[in-house]
Amino acid sequence: MNGKDAALPAIHTVESRKAARANAHRADRTATGVIWGVAMLGLAVLTMIIFAILWNGLTTALTPGFVFGSPKAMGATGGGIWPNVVSSFYLALLTLVIVLPIGVAAAIYMSEFAKEGRITRAVRFGADTLSSVPSIVFGIFGMLLFVIRFGFGYSMLAGALTLSLLNLPVVMRNAEQSINQVPNTYREASLGLGAGRWYTMRKVILPVATPGITTGAILTIGRILGESAAVIYTIGIFSKFIPVSPLDPGSPMAANIWHWYTEGALVKNWAKIAGGEAALLLLIVLAFNLLARLIAYLYKRRTRGAGRFV
Amino acid sequence: MKLDRDWVARKVFFVAAMMTVLGILLIIALVTKEAIPAIRKVGPVNLFFSTDWNPAGGHYGMLVFAVGTVLSTIGALIVGVPLAVGIALFVTEVAPKKAAALVTRGVELLAGIPSIVMGWLGFTLLVPWIAKLSHTGGAGLLAAAIVLAIMIMPTVCAISIDALDTVPDGYKQSSIGLGATRWQTIRHVTMPAAKGGILVGVILGMGRAMGETMAVALVIGPASVFPSSLTTPTHTLTTKILTEMGEASGIQRSALFAMALLLLVIMVALVMVIRKFAPAKVKA
Repeated sequence: MNGKDAALPAIHTVESRKAARANAHRADRTATGVIWGVAMLGLAVLTMIIFAILWNGLTTALTPGFVFGSPKAMGATGGGIWPNVVSSFYLALLTLVIVLPIGVAAAIYMSEFAKEGRITRAVRFGADTLSSVPSIVFGIFGMLLFVIRFGFGYSMLAGALTLSLLNLPVVMRNAEQSINQVPNTYREASLGLGAGRWYTMRKVILPVATPGITTGAILTIGRILGESAAVIYTIGIFSKFIPVSPLDPGSPMAANIWHWYTEGALVKNWAKIAGGEAALLLLIVLAFNLLARLIAYLYKRRTRGAGRFV
Repeated sequence: MKLDRDWVARKVFFVAAMMTVLGILLIIALVTKEAIPAIRKVGPVNLFFSTDWNPAGGHYGMLVFAVGTVLSTIGALIVGVPLAVGIALFVTEVAPKKAAALVTRGVELLAGIPSIVMGWLGFTLLVPWIAKLSHTGGAGLLAAAIVLAIMIMPTVCAISIDALDTVPDGYKQSSIGLGATRWQTIRHVTMPAAKGGILVGVILGMGRAMGETMAVALVIGPASVFPSSLTTPTHTLTTKILTEMGEASGIQRSALFAMALLLLVIMVALVMVIRKFAPAKVKA
């Protein structure tokens, strides 16, 4: 794109000016058409992706015997994914219990206690770098530290700790945004009345920031349920048993799909199982995304009387 | 003595905030430590620049996989960036309010689809299509690039929308007021003003594409050699780590960690580039 291009030539005559204007309008119409086309293509791709996944797996995914059934022995057909469903939600809950307090506490420090300086710069750089680390690297790091060094073995806990680190930057950033949206006058009013920083935080700021933090937490659940690369070498990809203790191994749905892809030959209908699992996973993740949106919308409507759900 | 609650709170929250720094340092330290035996035994030149990966014969060159990562990422950017910027322009400059909201929600929805699900779709739908059209196996860099393009699109798009939104309305109004068409305004005023922010989005998308694992693993092949075409199997760094870490030991395992280290170095470099050049407002 150079600065002096044909769109703005030196114009001397009425005719050339008219021609340039017509050209510009034609280019404008073409560009508008192309931009509309690109946007519609994007929507079409999205629709196709969701439709294709559901088309292949929805009938399987919605069969109670599949969702609530146990996997069968090798070589047999059929079998359900209940241990995987439980593993997924177990993992989401355990991870959230670990990452939410740390993330919110970190956000409180950044927005209420820290002065901009070396420490905040270091924390932000740490968060940015951490969120750029590929999830497979998180996975093999979790394997080194939690599975091997801490001796947790392939376990829900090792996976949850790994995913806590993976999600920490996002949780922290989200909580920080929610806290920063609390008007400064609230802080000043509370501090002016003689309340301490910690009291102000607990009684004034956190209650106002809670809906935003909740929305972020639900979105985090969606991300945890969909995560596989960081889970494969920390929790496992196949297990017939339902995890009970945090030190039990498991096989969350997302990681289990990888198991069927690599070891599919073990059962006849592996493609059907994996397809059903993919469809179910997509439905659940989309449901959590909608739930987060719904909460944000309801809260907005309550406080401001306006806001759009879609 | 009464406990100073503010002081305690401050210390506790400080520790929480330092977790990010501690985490990234720990990751870099542990991965580096595991990678050192391979770097020592194989030598950095052979490790990073040899194309010969044959653990049984004692060869641990990772160049094939690094090139796979670079090529699939470039492909993803070629397909994904125009799409993302086009949609961002649609949302910010062209669309009526309702259409803009619909497309924005759509992009957010796309961002939420798990990568293993995208990979599964690529494996069951995209690869067979490519196979039919190209009379090959179908799996390879082309399929990887397409899947990656769709996966990085929401990131690039969201940040481009932010960047375009921060261009002051006065700029656009002045341009329109001088008689420029909307497209002339976009090309000569809005886009140049938003350039920095869009670039940040592209770099972030690049990072995502290089680090993506599962979606690529299901459509790339795999094979540990240079592909003879865009539709023959190969590997990327992430898929190589994924598929071999389970059975690897000794130098082979260490070489896989060296691949992870290479990825980490690239990611840290990308973050530094973004911090250096990003306009303050769109810093991710």
